[in-house]
Amino acid sequence: MHTQDFPQLASIEVIEQGFESFGYICSPKIATAVFLAFQLRKPILVEGPPGVGKTELAKTTAALLDVPLIRLQCYEGLDEAKALYEWKYGKQLLYTQVLKEKLGDLLQGAQGLAESVERLHQFGDIFYSEQFLEPRPLLKAMQQERGAILLIDEVDKSDYEFESLLLEILSDYQVSIPEIGTVKASVSPMVFLTSNNTRDISDALKRRCLHLYIPFPSVELEERIVLSRVPDIDQQLRHQLVAFVHSLRDLDLKKTPAISETIDWARSLLLLHARELDPEIVHSTLNVLLKFEDDIDTANAGLQDLLARRTA
Amino acid sequence: MQNHLVSFIRLLRSHDVRVSPAETLDAMDVAAVLGYAGRERLRDGLASALAKTPAEEAVFQHCFERFFDRELADFASTREEREAPQDEQLATLEPGPGEKPEASGRASPDDSLLDAAATEDAGLQALLDSDLLRQLRDNDRNALNLAMGEAAAGVGLSQIQMFTQKGQYLRRMLDAMGEEQVRRVIADLERRQSPALEPLKRYRDILREQVRDYVARQYLLQAEGDNARFMDDILSTTRLSNLEHRYLQRVQELVRRMARKLAERHARKRRMFRRGRLDMGKTLRRGIANDGVMFNTYWRRVRKDKPQLLAICDVSGSVAAYAKFLLLFLYSLQDVLPRVRSFAFSSHLGEASELFIQHPVEKAIELVNWRYGGATDYGSSLQDFARLALDDINSNTTVIILGDARNNNGDPRLDILRSIYQRSRRVIWLNPESRRAWGTGDSEMLRYQSACHFAAECNNLVQLERVVDQLLKLNR
Repeated sequence: MHTQDFPQLASIEVIEQGFESFGYICSPKIATAVFLAFQLRKPILVEGPPGVGKTELAKTTAALLDVPLIRLQCYEGLDEAKALYEWKYGKQLLYTQVLKEKLGDLLQGAQGLAESVERLHQFGDIFYSEQFLEPRPLLKAMQQERGAILLIDEVDKSDYEFESLLLEILSDYQVSIPEIGTVKASVSPMVFLTSNNTRDISDALKRRCLHLYIPFPSVELEERIVLSRVPDIDQQLRHQLVAFVHSLRDLDLKKTPAISETIDWARSLLLLHARELDPEIVHSTLNVLLKFEDDIDTANAGLQDLLARRTA
Repeated sequence: MQNHLVSFIRLLRSHDVRVSPAETLDAMDVAAVLGYAGRERLRDGLASALAKTPAEEAVFQHCFERFFDRELADFASTREEREAPQDEQLATLEPGPGEKPEASGRASPDDSLLDAAATEDAGLQALLDSDLLRQLRDNDRNALNLAMGEAAAGVGLSQIQMFTQKGQYLRRMLDAMGEEQVRRVIADLERRQSPALEPLKRYRDILREQVRDYVARQYLLQAEGDNARFMDDILSTTRLSNLEHRYLQRVQELVRRMARKLAERHARKRRMFRRGRLDMGKTLRRGIANDGVMFNTYWRRVRKDKPQLLAICDVSGSVAAYAKFLLLFLYSLQDVLPRVRSFAFSSHLGEASELFIQHPVEKAIELVNWRYGGATDYGSSLQDFARLALDDINSNTTVIILGDARNNNGDPRLDILRSIYQRSRRVIWLNPESRRAWGTGDSEMLRYQSACHFAAECNNLVQLERVVDQLLKLNR
């Protein structure tokens, strides 16, 4: 994507403000990474615990730039037929049946087999051309005229082989299709890859990307995030609940509550017309924050202590 | 500044952050786009281009702080303590635009002494006119820093490896910065008992102090990472029996890293072969019903065999020095491979798998040593082993024996090992003694070897890694 077409990404401050207007509060580090990715035309590999807004970052960038977001969800066994392109086999089959009758007309007057074949050759590979190509997310992202945001989500869930497939796309923004040739993006898309660290990403892939690690936010940042997402919530309560979630993160839990859960919780508390955190309401809404029975037990056991620490 | 960036990257590399040339170019681009004005911003930007894991990022932050923080100690303070008034101090710190560095505003007695002496002494005058002395007298830290940087590049300070080299580099740095001239003048002044001697000496001391600090900082930066790696290299090729106890921690870390590496490499292979090949025969046969059109494909499933590993470790006195490491290795192995059973023996044999699962490594090793230590008796130990595990040995079982095969001239019970050999997929014997010692004295190694698929010498970590790698390949 060209720099001059998108004043929204002109500087780090502009990006921060732009994101904020779309309700995505980010640290300067995130804005810097987006700015660099745009300026240097490099993909960003976003890592971090689940629920800190990795996918949201790509969505917000797409909204900010007003370009389509093309998303490829990775999973084990994902292959190029689902990620890159596929031939429209049904259409090819149908056309061969329809065109069978035309064959007689074409070959009329041909002397012998050699000449017939020679005539057929003149038509080229009609069945392996752009018309019969079904673009999948990666190819689709290359074909967008105004550029696009390509989100390759949870790349760590895919196989190693799939990573190698990505290399050509990420470094040159092009796709090689054996039957047609190389398809190069006219406007290179901006690529976000996300990973939850279930396995190590190969060095070759990492080398081609800028790396951005998003940790859990600080108390101040998280309060701002809650404010932008749940603006109706009382300031006192907001302060309390963010502090409570932060103290939960210090516990030894199976799944630490993330930002998305904080926001969900804030919404629930708002719905329940809670004025402040008391043990009763925390106890009854804890399942919004924690997703394992064991975790809920752990938190309940230390609930008094946690609430006391919050007020201290 | 580009040079600075390159040496910063070299520093990162010495701290085990892998930075490729392509990433170096990225870093340059990042610096060009962001500029050098915003320190935080530059740090975040460079981090995104250079550090690719959270661990690497932590190292990056540490190195960045150290590398780009070369504030010199303000050596003007020594002068301040003497007579120079506060405001004049400021004036010399930040010379105004129109003011020359050698401004007349400087009127402290020291300097006037120097200036007075210089009028009669051509040597001193030349010295005072030199850049070096001007920087010192003006407390021009930036210029001095720059000069030190140049001198450092000139003498190759970034190559410093050992702390014993500090003195040598200090001298070379001083020479490169032209300290010799200062020394010569001081010697001259001493001979004549000149009053300018003291102030000049002070400047010389300041200079030396600054350069010494600079060298020390550089040593810390450069050598720290290199030394750690140097140490790791040495540890992994030293005979395990020669390692001192205090390195145990470090060796453990190495073993664990090795285990992780092996696990990663081999987990990947296993996944690759899961699907199997196309079963052409079946696909054709089933296609007959559809007029010979092969609608469905059938795949030959890969037979999922569950390799089992039985490891037997000698913990007797004769291999006491190795036993610790062999056990450590067994412990790590149990982490990496599924279905590992560990046994330990000296005079009799028992299963140690439970101990390894229940206790942390040091404790487990201690317990095993305590429970099974003593004089070696391979015969009865093999008998115990046969009783405990022979029924479980099948064509998927690999048996590893770690021991020196020194049996105190007892009955080796080769027949048991032979029956293990016949039942199992493979028997591997790892002997800490060198091959030349096999079969000498009471060693039964040559005999036992006849009932092993593979026997190897194994007394350092590199050999260990090679053997395990092979083992995992066979185990697939």
